Amino acid sequence: MSTPVALKPAAEAATGDGGPRLGRRLTGFMPLIALLALVVALAIADPGFLTQRSLTAVARTAAPLIVLAAAATLIVLCGGIDLSIAAVASLSTVLLALWLPHLGGLATPAVILAAASIGAVQGVAHVLLRIPSFIVTLGGMSILSAVALVVSGAGTVRVVDDSTVKWLELYVGGYVPMSFVMALVVVALIALALRLTPLRSWISATGYSESAARLAGTPVDLVKIGAFVVSGAGAGFAAIMLVSRQFSGGPTMADNLLLPAVAAIVVGGTAITGGHGSVWRSLAGALVVTLLRVGLPIVGVPSAYEQILYGVIIVIAVTLTLDWSKVSIIK
Amino acid sequence: MSVPASTPALEVRGLVKHYPGVTALDGVDLVVRQHEVLGLVGENGAGKSTLLKALVGLVVPDAGEIRVRGEAVKLRSVVDAADHGIGMVFQEQSLVPNLTAAENILLGGEGPGVRRGVYRWDAMRRLAQEQLDKIGSNIDPLVRTDALSFADRQMVEIAKVLRIEQRSQHPPVIVLDEPTSVLEAKEIETLFAQIRRLREFASVVFVSHRLDEVLEVCDRVAVLRNGQSVGELAAAGAVPRELHRMMIGSTGSDDHYHENAAAVVESERPRLTVRGLSGTSFQDVDLDVAAGEIVAIVGVHGSGREDVCRALFGAEPVTAGEIRMDGKKINISGTRAACAAGIGYVPAERKTEGMVGPMSVAENMTLAKQRSRCAGPFVAPGKQAAVVDRWIDRLCIRTPGRDTPIQRLSGGNQQKVVLARWLVDGDIRLLLLDHPTRGLDIGARSEVYRLMRELAASGVATVLLADSLEEAIGMADRILVMNDGRVVSEVACPAGGKPSPLDLVKEMV
Repeated sequence: MSTPVALKPAAEAATGDGGPRLGRRLTGFMPLIALLALVVALAIADPGFLTQRSLTAVARTAAPLIVLAAAATLIVLCGGIDLSIAAVASLSTVLLALWLPHLGGLATPAVILAAASIGAVQGVAHVLLRIPSFIVTLGGMSILSAVALVVSGAGTVRVVDDSTVKWLELYVGGYVPMSFVMALVVVALIALALRLTPLRSWISATGYSESAARLAGTPVDLVKIGAFVVSGAGAGFAAIMLVSRQFSGGPTMADNLLLPAVAAIVVGGTAITGGHGSVWRSLAGALVVTLLRVGLPIVGVPSAYEQILYGVIIVIAVTLTLDWSKVSIIK
Repeated sequence: MSVPASTPALEVRGLVKHYPGVTALDGVDLVVRQHEVLGLVGENGAGKSTLLKALVGLVVPDAGEIRVRGEAVKLRSVVDAADHGIGMVFQEQSLVPNLTAAENILLGGEGPGVRRGVYRWDAMRRLAQEQLDKIGSNIDPLVRTDALSFADRQMVEIAKVLRIEQRSQHPPVIVLDEPTSVLEAKEIETLFAQIRRLREFASVVFVSHRLDEVLEVCDRVAVLRNGQSVGELAAAGAVPRELHRMMIGSTGSDDHYHENAAAVVESERPRLTVRGLSGTSFQDVDLDVAAGEIVAIVGVHGSGREDVCRALFGAEPVTAGEIRMDGKKINISGTRAACAAGIGYVPAERKTEGMVGPMSVAENMTLAKQRSRCAGPFVAPGKQAAVVDRWIDRLCIRTPGRDTPIQRLSGGNQQKVVLARWLVDGDIRLLLLDHPTRGLDIGARSEVYRLMRELAASGVATVLLADSLEEAIGMADRILVMNDGRVVSEVACPAGGKPSPLDLVKEMV
């Protein structure tokens, strides 16, 4: 049925101003600017920092964090949080180490699938039982950590034949770690999916105002469960990177990545209240966090001061990168 | 210093307040005499709440002045207002539930009730009791407020507001915003006795939708309409009908509702047929809407009409009943199912439920009908630009561009985007409009009415929950009256044979 609707033309001027102002345009690049500023600062502190060796080390260390943060960003964009990512990744390292001897090349997809399923279960619990994501994943973190301990027998599981995951330890062009390239691919894939499909609208609407999204017929529940699936899969993939580096799986191997991953998301400028942000921002945020972790000792900051500097820089970075005009509630 | 008895306790002159796209106050005058209970009435959107907020410093007016006992004042905060002896009892209560009545009454001004940072309960009790004594209340100051009834909590609120007496040497002005809306008849009597008591030592501004109450308790009544003072009358001897006429005014321009554009109702084509629909707050609702027909549902707060509307959109649970669209039985399990069935819903709370403020006009407009901007699974920028620009053009949406965040548009233009959301794919069959003109100024309202007429003419069926009775009568072909969750009557409302508002009011209460 057609709806021939036309109102009489109104000649009044449009309200508001036109294109984005310089300041507004700049806020979009703030994570990148913060990243560059940090690199410059580290280079000034120690000119030897900008060597291929230390940059490669940063890239290699950053790869699992990038994947974790980028995948979990989807949940944050929906207005939730996933505290279980590190526990899922730890459990996945154990599963991979246990399954590699039996499944060989199939172990990698199997682990990612298992991690995605764990995400799905948490997502379904969050949506259907209406438990806040913070609580669901807090419980999930505890449960999955314990499962990892049980499954691994509370110890490191050594990988004897790592031929099927060794490719992640290759270097593209001799310098760029393959794991870093794969992390960029993951970020690009998620970013493209958001950019090219209606997912971006659905996720943002869910994050900014769930009731408005629901009343516009947006598949809010599916979108949220999907975000949890991606977050779980990301944790699984990060686990594969960790195993390929350490030739083993361990029940607490990824546990220390939780807070850096959350920091990466917020340092990128993604609003913890939902709606506003992107995976590119989390990529920049993960690099900032890794640079601080790896860079501060390299340039010779005493370890006691390192923590102070880290905390200060994180807070400053969030203040710079968050686009305050898009975020009304600060909590 | 002494103030002559003839000087008004509070005087408002030419108060103006603009919001983006809306003029909430358009030169309001108001006089509150000493020891007087002044009623303030007006329809939704008449400017009552903005005026009250200006009186207690929550809104800073753009122009005009407020005089307290003849002296011009600038009120920038609730504390400012309290310093001048003006206090307000809010419609939504403002007590902290897990504190005692005494703590609430003295909150922020404990004085001798606290020594060295520690409560001294005997002093607290005594100070709170002093306030409660002013209103002759026998509430125990040390009982937790969440253990009190709503009516008792209101008394605590009044006692709390009366603390402003300590801040100014003059009799205070107490503003009561819709204090009776959730009280029982007996509690209302108690409240009215309290208000008469307050008059002995204060002036009172009493705001209510219930006109008979206003006339009962007030000395004088001032009427607001469209942000202007349209008159006042002495309460003694006045009847509600007089007040109501002043509130709605003469029907304004001749064809505000575009009645000559009313669609021909294709009554042989029932679009929506609802039988025995029941939910948590409504029972056994029957509803028929034909293609091209506008059916308004009217009822007071709590009549259940909003819930019926939301239930039809799958946003509210249904326990029984049958819904048919174009004769075919449908199961509306959720909002997505409703969208798929060609049903559109415009929520009453535009800013929180209707639109996603930081997202662009284009994203908001295509949110429900993604297919209208997609080729396969992908968003096609060209297609999106074409469809969005076409509707910006058709509905004359004034926006800098389709990528502008919708929150930067005026209310009327925001609402047009929300309406366009259901039109972009040309597959809309039933529109549920929940207060579609709330908060819009008169020009924007007229445009929304016109759009409704054109949609009806194209065969869309409409269920309207109007902002005012006048709007329901002006727009609808038929009106259903709901009371306490049930449809109690149906009134034909054809152009040229419109019922009077008072006929409807009789059924509503």
